[in-house]
Amino acid sequence: MSLLTNRLDSDLADVAQKARGSLVQIHNGGHGAGAGTIWHPDGLIVTNAHVAGNGPLRVALPDGRSLPARLLASDAVNDIAAIAVVASGLPAVELGESRRLRPGNIVLAIGHPWGVFGATTAGTVVGVGPDLPEVGGSPREWIAVSLNLRPGNSGGPLVDADGRLVGINTVMTGPHAGMAVPVHVAKEFLKEAMASRKIA
Amino acid sequence: MAETLRKLSDDLAQTVEAAGPSIVRVAARRRLPASGIVWSSDGTIVTAHHVVERDDSIEIGLPDGGTATATLAGRDPTTDIAVLRTSAAGLAEPRWRGADSLRVGNIVLALGRPGRSVLATMGIVSALGESWRTPAGGRLDHYLQTDVVMYPGFSGGPLVDSEGSVVGLNTSALSRGAALAVPFDTLGRVVEALLSRGRIRRGYLGVGAQPARLPDGLAKELGQETGLLLVSVEAGSPAEQSGLLMGDTLVTLNGNRIRHLDDLFAALDEEAIGQPVPAKLVRGGKLQDAAISVGERE
Repeated sequence: MSLLTNRLDSDLADVAQKARGSLVQIHNGGHGAGAGTIWHPDGLIVTNAHVAGNGPLRVALPDGRSLPARLLASDAVNDIAAIAVVASGLPAVELGESRRLRPGNIVLAIGHPWGVFGATTAGTVVGVGPDLPEVGGSPREWIAVSLNLRPGNSGGPLVDADGRLVGINTVMTGPHAGMAVPVHVAKEFLKEAMASRKIA
Repeated sequence: MAETLRKLSDDLAQTVEAAGPSIVRVAARRRLPASGIVWSSDGTIVTAHHVVERDDSIEIGLPDGGTATATLAGRDPTTDIAVLRTSAAGLAEPRWRGADSLRVGNIVLALGRPGRSVLATMGIVSALGESWRTPAGGRLDHYLQTDVVMYPGFSGGPLVDSEGSVVGLNTSALSRGAALAVPFDTLGRVVEALLSRGRIRRGYLGVGAQPARLPDGLAKELGQETGLLLVSVEAGSPAEQSGLLMGDTLVTLNGNRIRHLDDLFAALDEEAIGQPVPAKLVRGGKLQDAAISVGERE
C-alpha cells in the first residue's frame, strides 16, 4: 500500500480506538441494548431518550464493569437523555464542534449494531441543520450522515476525523443513511437540565 | 493525531463547497424538490427529466438563497434529461470533465440541493463502460455507475470528481437500484439538441408489432429466439414505402438484433433517420434482406 493509504489506515484505527474508549452499552430492562457516550469522568453518560427509557438501567463500561445507572434528565423531542453511574475517572469523550461540520466531512459512528460491541462504521456528513429532506419543516437540528447505522447504534458517539464527539447517533433513515443529534444540541440540553437542578 | 484523515475530511468538504454555487434546487413536482446543475450563466439549467412534472411555474432555488421561476425548454425521457430556462443571470457554471478521465475506484461525490443548502454523499466509481442503451432506448456515451447513496432529492444534481469537476448528472430513474450518472458528453449532445429543436429526433416506422418465436433452425442461425412480428403496417408509413408487409417478422435493423419492442425503439434512434438502413426479416418462413427508410417521429 502507498504511504498515504498507510497513514489513512492508521489514522482511522486511531480515531476508532479513541472513540471506542468512551462508549458504553446501556440495558434498560427491555429487549436488546443501546449505546451511550461517556460525557464526564464522574459518571455522566449521554444517550438517546429512547434508549434510556424509564426502566431500571444498567451500564456496561469499556473496562468491563457493569453498574446500575440513574436517569437524570430526558428530552423526548430531541431524543436525548442524561444518565449517571457512580464512578470516577471514566474516559470521557473529547467534545467537538458540530456547527463546524460541513457536507463531505468524514465521520465515524460507534455502537453495538445487532449487539456487536463497539462496532465502528465510517462515512461522511450529508448535511447539518434543520434544512434536510427528512426533517420536513421541523426546526429540529440534525446531522444527516451517510453511513450504516443499525439497531444498537442508538445513543453511541458520532466522531469527526479527530475523534471528537460531534453527534449522538439516533436513527437510521435508510440502509446507508442516518441521523444524529448534534453535540451542540446535547450541550444545550445538559445546560438546561443543570439549570433546573436535574443534574448537580 | 489523525492528520491525514483530517486533511482528507477537509478536502472532501472543500470539494463540495467548490461545486456548490453551480447547484440549484428544482421544484417541479408535488413531492420533495430535486436538484439541477447550471448549464450556462445566463440561466440555462440541466436536470433530470423524471423530476420535472410540469412545464412551467417551476421554481429554482438559487445558491445565494434567492428563487427564480423557470420554464421547460425541452426534455428527453430516454436519457432522463430536461433543460430549463430561467431569467436568473450571473449563475456560476461548474467545471465539466469527461468520463474518460475517470477510473473504477476513483472517489466521487454526489451533490444535491433539495432544500436551501448543498448536501453530499461520497462513493467511488463502480463501473465505467462504453456507450450504453437505457431501457427507454436512449444512448449514454458512457455507462457510469457509482455506489454513492442517492439521497432524497439528489436526482438532477452533479456527480463530482475529487477535483470538484462535474463528470455527470445523477439519476435514480435509469436503472433500478443502481446510481447512474448521465456523462458530460451525453449532456452536451442532448442539451444542445433540446435547446435548438426542443426535442430529440426519434425514428419512426409506422408498424404495430409483437415478439414472436422464430423457428428452431432460424433461431440457431441468427442466434436469437424471437423476432418482431408485424401485426399492422400503417398506410403511407415509412414501413409501407419500404415494402414491409403485415406478417413479416423483423429480426435485425441497422445491424441491431430485433428480439422485442425495446430493441426496435433503441434501433430507431436519431442516426437511423433519413437514409435506407439494412434489415433482415422472415417472410414466408424464409430469411431475406431488406432496406428500410426510417422516418422521423413528429
